[in-house]
Amino acid sequence: MTFAAFEWLWEGNNLRFILEGFLINLQIAVVAIVISLIVGLGLALARLSANRIASVAAGVWVDVFRNLPLLLLILFLFLWIPQSARNTWEELMPGWMPEAWQSGLMLAGLSGLVLYNSAVLAEIMRAGILSLPRGQREAAQALGLTYRQAMRHVILPQGLRRMVPATVSQLITLTKDTTLVSIIAIVEVMRRARTVTATSGNPFTGGGVEAPILEVFLFVGLLFIIVNYSLSRLSRRLEIREKKRSGSKPDVKVRGLEEQVA
Amino acid sequence: MPFAFVDTLTENFDEFLRGFGTTVELVVVSFVIAMSVGTLIAAFRVAPSPWLQRIGGLYVEAFRNVPLLVLIFIAYPGLRRAGVEISAFVAGVLSLGLYTAAYVAEAIRSGVFSVSKGQIEASLSLGFTYPQTMRRIILPQAFRTVISPLGSLIIAMIKNSAILGGSILALNDLLKTGRVIASRTFEVIPAFLWAAAGYLILTGLATLAIRRLETRYAVKR
Repeated sequence: MTFAAFEWLWEGNNLRFILEGFLINLQIAVVAIVISLIVGLGLALARLSANRIASVAAGVWVDVFRNLPLLLLILFLFLWIPQSARNTWEELMPGWMPEAWQSGLMLAGLSGLVLYNSAVLAEIMRAGILSLPRGQREAAQALGLTYRQAMRHVILPQGLRRMVPATVSQLITLTKDTTLVSIIAIVEVMRRARTVTATSGNPFTGGGVEAPILEVFLFVGLLFIIVNYSLSRLSRRLEIREKKRSGSKPDVKVRGLEEQVA
Repeated sequence: MPFAFVDTLTENFDEFLRGFGTTVELVVVSFVIAMSVGTLIAAFRVAPSPWLQRIGGLYVEAFRNVPLLVLIFIAYPGLRRAGVEISAFVAGVLSLGLYTAAYVAEAIRSGVFSVSKGQIEASLSLGFTYPQTMRRIILPQAFRTVISPLGSLIIAMIKNSAILGGSILALNDLLKTGRVIASRTFEVIPAFLWAAAGYLILTGLATLAIRRLETRYAVKR
């Protein structure tokens, strides 16, 4: 493999075509993490609540969706979400949105990502909240704060700050997982890379330099490595800063969180 | 009507069982690859040579930050097109194994570092040789710290193995079986539900096994 093998990058608008596809993956990751954080917070609060039924229901929900393959969820939703819901999505999406977002398939892809990641984040948040010393809650209570006030002004601001590094790690996993939506035919970087391998150098589609599959996907992999490596450095830095700020043991210990693969 | 759910399982039981077996096979083979390569990379990362350390670091950063699906495209259509005759199964377990190896390496490395330096010094001053120190003092303790991260890696592998069946490799694992049955019988919900149940059995069993190991080898320091 030489540099000549990457000549296809400069052919036509191959490079731009792939980079724009990659941008769609990043957009999906950001949208999915924001929604998952909101849903995840709800799940974590339900699980920690004094209401037995809510707590058990949230616990079962989180444990089920955390332990299922993400691809299974995406493929199931792809088959199960009715056409009418997809049509509604397509109508609601404004015309200036990127093409991939206007497809009704995105509804299935995004729901799958949110279903899985909200469960994982709920567990991270629960651990973050539980890692606070008990005295914090007791002090809030002694000062006359209601449960709601204590949560809002004392527990959550501290607990959630502890989970920032873990959330960034989850964002890395999520960025990788966005490639799975290509399996339900959403056109992002994987699909676009395959288009490049099929069209570049093909005499029927304009000719030019051939784009070998191996090199094209090595390049796609490189894009992910650049973004995710930067994110992991950021996560590392945030963790160190958090350690300095709180002075003591700030490690949010979720079982094997740092080593999580998905 | 509620029996339709059960019918989907009983009528296709052999097929589900075969898919379940394939998933177990994929996970076991990939895990063996991940453990061997991961241990090697971890050894690289703590080796005295800066070059080996650099190679180890490069491996971890590359394989950890790349999507598994990209690795599959490199390993299967990519290599085949480049003239390497690789089967879908081998490409699949290599992708999953090498991907997870990066995480295994990190888990083992942090396990070895978790044993304090004083223990090594104490052991050496008591007259243990270096290999004896490794075998009797460091590794038994490192093993205990590594159980829990390795456990979550196995669970992640079970989940990630579905990507092998769902991607172009089209290996007949549990997810693929569920999809095939769903499209043949139009019983989408039951077919996926039983496939999901299969995965939950595997991840559940793994969780229980790890918990038992953890309590058995609980670190007493």
